[in-house]
Amino acid sequence: MTTVKITDLEKEYHGVRALRGIDLEVEDGEFVVLVGPSGCGKSTLLRMIAGLEDITGGTIAIDGEIVNDMRPRDRNVAMVFQDYALYPHMTVEKNIGFALRARKIPESEIATRVDTTTRMLGIGALHQRYPRQLSGGQRQRVAIGRAIVRDARLFLFDEPLSNLDAQLRDDMRAEIKRLHQDLGRTMIYVTHDQIEAMTLADRIVLLRDGVIEQEGSPLDLYERPNSKFVAGFLGSPKMNFIPGTILGRDITLAGGMKLPLPPHFKNAKQKDVIIGLRPQHISVAGKTVASGHAHVPVTIELVQPTGSRSHVTFPLGGVASVAEVDVHDVKSPGEKIALDINMTRAIIIDPQSEKVI
Amino acid sequence: MAMTSMRPHRRRAPIGRIVFIGIYLLFVLVPLYWMFITSIKPSDDYLAVPPVWFPKAPTLVHYTAALFAYRGLQGIINSLIISLSATVLSAFLGTLMAYSLARFNTGGKHLAFWVLSQRFLPPVAIVLPIFLIYRMFGLHDTYIGMIIAYTVFTLPVSVWMMFAYFRGIPKSMEEAALVDGCSRWLSFRKIALPLAIPGIVAAAIFAFIACWTEFFFALILTSRYTFTLPTVFRAFLGFQGAQYGEASALAIVSLVPSIVLGTLVQKHLVRGLTLGAVRG
Amino acid sequence: MAQFSIMKGVGTIPRMSAISEWSDRNFKWLLVAPAVLLILALSVYPLLFSVWVVFVNYDFQIPGHAFVGLKNFQQVFADPVARWSLVLTVVLSAANVTIEFLLGLALALTMVKNFRGRGLVMSIIIVPLFISPVIVGQAWTLLLQRPFGPTNYMLSLLFGHDVAIGWLTESPWLYFALIIADVWQWTPFMFVILLAGLTSIPSNLYEAAELDGVDGWQVFWSITVPFLGPMIMLAITFRLLDAVKLFDTIFIMTGGGPGTKTYTASFYLYTVGFAQFHISQATAGSWIFLIITVVVVSVLVRRLLEVEPT
Repeated sequence: MTTVKITDLEKEYHGVRALRGIDLEVEDGEFVVLVGPSGCGKSTLLRMIAGLEDITGGTIAIDGEIVNDMRPRDRNVAMVFQDYALYPHMTVEKNIGFALRARKIPESEIATRVDTTTRMLGIGALHQRYPRQLSGGQRQRVAIGRAIVRDARLFLFDEPLSNLDAQLRDDMRAEIKRLHQDLGRTMIYVTHDQIEAMTLADRIVLLRDGVIEQEGSPLDLYERPNSKFVAGFLGSPKMNFIPGTILGRDITLAGGMKLPLPPHFKNAKQKDVIIGLRPQHISVAGKTVASGHAHVPVTIELVQPTGSRSHVTFPLGGVASVAEVDVHDVKSPGEKIALDINMTRAIIIDPQSEKVI
Repeated sequence: MAMTSMRPHRRRAPIGRIVFIGIYLLFVLVPLYWMFITSIKPSDDYLAVPPVWFPKAPTLVHYTAALFAYRGLQGIINSLIISLSATVLSAFLGTLMAYSLARFNTGGKHLAFWVLSQRFLPPVAIVLPIFLIYRMFGLHDTYIGMIIAYTVFTLPVSVWMMFAYFRGIPKSMEEAALVDGCSRWLSFRKIALPLAIPGIVAAAIFAFIACWTEFFFALILTSRYTFTLPTVFRAFLGFQGAQYGEASALAIVSLVPSIVLGTLVQKHLVRGLTLGAVRG
Repeated sequence: MAQFSIMKGVGTIPRMSAISEWSDRNFKWLLVAPAVLLILALSVYPLLFSVWVVFVNYDFQIPGHAFVGLKNFQQVFADPVARWSLVLTVVLSAANVTIEFLLGLALALTMVKNFRGRGLVMSIIIVPLFISPVIVGQAWTLLLQRPFGPTNYMLSLLFGHDVAIGWLTESPWLYFALIIADVWQWTPFMFVILLAGLTSIPSNLYEAAELDGVDGWQVFWSITVPFLGPMIMLAITFRLLDAVKLFDTIFIMTGGGPGTKTYTASFYLYTVGFAQFHISQATAGSWIFLIITVVVVSVLVRRLLEVEPT
């Protein structure tokens, strides 16, 4: 049972407030991902949980015990660093066994644990190698091995996949997910990559400029973002944002085009809005216009094929917008085509507050 | 690589470069060669005209005289004792301090600047009162006195070289050790220190060379018992002509170790000369 | 996987003892303490002590330590040799550092490009740095001293007529001798630093310039010099601060003479303090020297920190 409760956490250094009023509760066995743009404070938050950074204000409690003044070694947490932080002058076996030896565990038990760990991670043959002799992926596994060998109560990951190339990243992502399933431990994971966040998290905590913008399950944040920032951060390609004005039952865009109001939109007083449309909700128009949809004729400006799909750019309401269509639907720029816009999945954003309404 | 553009003259024929470097190399080597030749020349050749560049009957007589009659050997032994001890102390204390400065920014700018400024104190301002103090405490002409003095004398460079070195090591490994179960001391001893060994060796060698070649402090703070090698050369002052060979012999004996050591740490030279401000 | 269930958590690490707790909390201070104490003992304490010395009459030739106010300073100011030594120090240092800089820069520029045997040449060039200044003085004395040194003979051959210069006894030649010895030893200092600076300039800047059609001298002034600027400041500052302490080579080569012609500041103070044993007067002089050095250091280091190289 490992829970983490963070209350009103503050971090300030050199006069800069890196974290402000952070409240967060992590349940036992949860995989929480802290995500956000560079400088949002996610790494700082993680390091404060580990004990590597001082706390300016607020409390962090692990399993109900406040750990503000506790040294990292006493917190029983394990951490995987971005640059793996393997000890270069020790073999893989020594690297993984280091924490166990620090606890004076008998050598026989250390051997068993290290064996189990390396076999589990597929690096059983590398015991006597040094980190410099390993590939990036192997080093990553050793770093993870070091974390799991003592079965700490809390696992912390600080952008562990950033230094891997794209192919390897996909493989390792799946391995980390599997690891969580097998171990069932509470894990807190930091990344700037929204794909990692979406695929790994039980719950995502999106940070910006030291505050939590929104937290919830990946699907929550994807389908029900509460601000333009959150909407634009998750999802690839990025959501389209088109300004418009509500007149009656329609939204009028710059240039005169009209789109129907989404059926769930209730606010009667709003006039100026920004429409949030995911590229996946714009497709090539069929014969009929469904309720809540609109067909618009557009000229395609840019075609970027990605395999079976294509990202096509076109102007909509004065904004360069992207739609995701089948790669065979649009071949070259300059084509004129009719697109179906699914307004039932659109979100409406207030231009002033940038919040979703 | 288009490195030709680095030079102010484009596509210049390399002859000028070769000549220039050649002359400079001569400039460097001629005094050393002459000193070496003098050390093995029989005394009759000293005043020969034209000067003798290749003695026909080389001898080692001057070496034995320098080492024994002029007590060069004692000077070497004293220098070794003092320099080695001071080097060890300086490297050790300097590394500790450097780690603290590099990882924890201890004492902020002020402490760092204070240590740095020690390097630039004119020795004469320090040596006068130290001389008096040593005499008061009976530390004049003692090994301990010299060792402490040389340790302080070489500390700034040791600290600053190691400071730059530690800055170059990512601290994530030490942090991993902290999370794994180490106290700060263990994290330093087991992780940071082993990784810093190349830097410590380089700093130690620099410190040793500095102690081995130091003259002013030794001149004033040593006397009959602990005189160091550089001070032995005082005996050759006021050349009457008879001691050229001995002086040269002792010089050669003295400079061989420091040159050998210095060549070994060439890589770290820039870091040492600029107190770590520049990575070579 | 089932096998993992055998690895139950190893729990928390045993808490540290009280001493370990205390030393862990104060770790960073404990690390600097020994070094700081040593420097306090052997640098700060002596300086404070010397402040007392300066205001009394500490002299081996006179008994007692009577308080004499500013008399020691006055004696120093009044001594023409003191003023001369200061002037000489400034002039010699300036000459040394300038020549070393120019020569070092020229060397660095020629050695930037890699060529066969460059490593060996480098090793030879830096040799003088590791030699005791006393020995450097010794070596040049051997070369220059009449009648033993071959210099006059070689010069006679070169110029076709008899050269009989007293390199260590006649002015102005003896100043050249001192300068040559210093330049011989310390040019590599400049060379090494400037070379490091030159090689750190990213080569793609030069490549871009070449593609743009910028020519040699322009490249030098618009790319090389700005990048090198901080390095030059660093090298000159460090070297200058050492150059003013000039003592060892003077001691061996000329002994300050003839007369007091080659008294640098350090040598003058040495003579007053340890040859004449007017300790207080020497201390007063060294304080004046120290204050001048501190002022110059502050100015230079401040400039240095403003343009610090990355």
